[in-house]
Amino acid sequence: MLERDAAKYPFLKEAAKLVDALNIQLNDLADPVYSKVLNRATERVTEAILEGVVESKLDDYMTELLSYPVASMLVSVKGESFLDRRYALAEAVRIYFLLMKEDTKTLFEIAINEFNWDLKEAKENFDGQSYTFKLFFSNYLHSSNSFHEDKWKLVNRVLKNGYVLLQQNEVARLIQGEVEMLIKERVSIRPKFDLPEPIKQKLDEITKVFEENRRKIGAEDLPTEVIREAFPPCIRYCMEGLLSGRRASHMERFALTSFLINIGMPTESIVDLYVSVTDFDESLTRYQIEHIAGLKGNKTRYTPPLCDTLRTHGICRNKDNICERIKHPLSYYRRKARLINPVQEKNSPSNNNQG
Amino acid sequence: MDSDWGSQKFVAEQFSKWYRSNARYISAPPEIMSREFAFLTFEGKTMFRHIGFTDESAFRRYLTDNAPSHSYYSSSYYKHPEAEMNNKGWSGADLVFDIDADHFNLECQKNHDKWLCRNCGKSGVGKPPELCVCGKSQFETETWLCENCLQEAKNETQKLLDILIQDFGFAIKEDLIVNFSGNRGYHVHVRSKNVRFFDQSARREIVDYILATGIKPEYIGFTPRGRGAKSILGDEGWRGRAGKAMYDFIDSTPPEIIRSLDLGRTLTQNLIEKKTDILKTLENNHPSFVIQKFASKDEERVMADLEKLLTKAIKQQSADIDTVVTTDIHRLIRLPNTLHGKSGWQTQTIKPEHLSDYDPLTSAVVLKGTDIRLFVRWAPKIRIGDTVYGPYEGEEVSVPLPVALFLLCKKGAKVVN
Repeated sequence: MLERDAAKYPFLKEAAKLVDALNIQLNDLADPVYSKVLNRATERVTEAILEGVVESKLDDYMTELLSYPVASMLVSVKGESFLDRRYALAEAVRIYFLLMKEDTKTLFEIAINEFNWDLKEAKENFDGQSYTFKLFFSNYLHSSNSFHEDKWKLVNRVLKNGYVLLQQNEVARLIQGEVEMLIKERVSIRPKFDLPEPIKQKLDEITKVFEENRRKIGAEDLPTEVIREAFPPCIRYCMEGLLSGRRASHMERFALTSFLINIGMPTESIVDLYVSVTDFDESLTRYQIEHIAGLKGNKTRYTPPLCDTLRTHGICRNKDNICERIKHPLSYYRRKARLINPVQEKNSPSNNNQG
Repeated sequence: MDSDWGSQKFVAEQFSKWYRSNARYISAPPEIMSREFAFLTFEGKTMFRHIGFTDESAFRRYLTDNAPSHSYYSSSYYKHPEAEMNNKGWSGADLVFDIDADHFNLECQKNHDKWLCRNCGKSGVGKPPELCVCGKSQFETETWLCENCLQEAKNETQKLLDILIQDFGFAIKEDLIVNFSGNRGYHVHVRSKNVRFFDQSARREIVDYILATGIKPEYIGFTPRGRGAKSILGDEGWRGRAGKAMYDFIDSTPPEIIRSLDLGRTLTQNLIEKKTDILKTLENNHPSFVIQKFASKDEERVMADLEKLLTKAIKQQSADIDTVVTTDIHRLIRLPNTLHGKSGWQTQTIKPEHLSDYDPLTSAVVLKGTDIRLFVRWAPKIRIGDTVYGPYEGEEVSVPLPVALFLLCKKGAKVVN
């Protein structure tokens, strides 16, 4: 593989082989010889934080290629899952822009060799658009997993005999989806090692940029007090149902309980809420709530279902304009709380750091 | 309720007799060693779970020895099916669909389903309301079934199969298993390496596809600025299906209902007065023509109206599956060819191509025997085999064993000694 191509698509197996062959160790990076690589790696991460997309700088392709694994390492070590996601997306978007300029052959190569897709050529026209690819539906569902726009819902696609028809730019976008997952998985591994001083400094730089922009990029924590006015419509629907005594589905009760737990309502208050309005057995109710809170059973604290899941089960009701911009009831809550209570900003830790 | 309604001991003996001579013909599900099994008995309410079998003969022996009232197995595969939930080692799951007439809103339910409010004693027929007039939601329900519900369930199953075969490309012989549930519905299992490792979100997307949840008119050609020449009625997938649904809805919906939809003025008027023109346009042209010719210029409103129309219309074309069953990757589902304790009938596997001729009220009634004397508390009319029985109310009757078992399993009668 050409090094220039490897620099463009450093996630490819062939590109990784090229890097591995150089056998660069962590301590080597402290050497001034690699300062360009270290700088570019830091820049990749800060571009991801600030712009949401990493730029392609292919003039110095060796630096570009080597800076990718270093940037991934920096993100891993930083250990902030929000940053994992933001960085993975930003790198994936970079790939998307590059893929848009590639020919069919390159798309096929990456899709088939790298991701094992069952991708074929097609020749169909619908609504004046030409569809030149078709992808097996299970590959499609995997790669579009993180997409939430209506056009990516399977029901809004032409699906024939197991294959989803696609336009060329859509294939590029789906590869973006795969790359995003790949990078996210890679950076969410938390390595434990002592970093040499120059790398530590770079990590501090990244931390500073991240903290300064935490709020702007939506990485702030949930409000500490329960703000009922900020509940999303679906949760209001569940809550009103509970209060009126309507028979609720398991999914409805799960959505409500997990939501209340995650916004910090004490278990005791949730138990009271259920027991006061229903004829539920108190100890059983407490056990179930504690189970969802991760205090019992397999010790997993459950988060509420995604908006998409609530929609499938008929719980997404009375959508409003905030709903259009979020994918998760907790994001709704965070946004609405900010609108209701903008004063909080002054007390948030991220702003204190600036002072 | 008088505890002997249902004469449990008698029913248990009949189940036991049947399993003793028939368990040897019941095939175990494929990959038996990776499945969890679960059973209910006539005596207790506890489910015996986390049961595993190493081979078919152990499985058959269990059925013979225990003659369970209800039998289940996991649609999922596990490394250690007998371990607790967290330690089972999930290694995939079939994709399963549950179609249950209980979820439908059918007129016939008023003839055979009843409810009673435990709080105030009010009662009624059909499905219970969300809330009783007393403000509580504590109902006891009695749900029976009839030929009509079973036929509706079969129709929905056929629609589901059509979508799975035509759109998803599943092979009718290799990938799809259809089971009559033994009571009010059907289960479809997809067994294919292509779906086995799907996570919940992929399964959810398939559910949304089958139910057309989230379908938008602009992606099937209904846009004011859409291009394209041909009609969508002949297209495959949801384009064609939704197109036909729109056509049928416009064709068959009376003006007063169209008016009640609260659509834009121009569109409402045209849907009523120029119905024939609209239908002709849908038949011969791209759907964008319908908008250009018959809707106002307020694009946002028009798209919202079309979405409303489409949502109403597609109900006819989508298959009414249970959303929770399909998205659950640890589901226990009824074990084919065993007996169902709420009907006395057999859960049966049907070749998909034979579904249209399948009559559960004849085929699934596998326990045979001579007349039994019962006192019937209440039972709606039901055909079993070629004979119609009931309705009965507070009377003594003599009916053949399979009919007696059905009435007993539904707790509507007791054996008279």
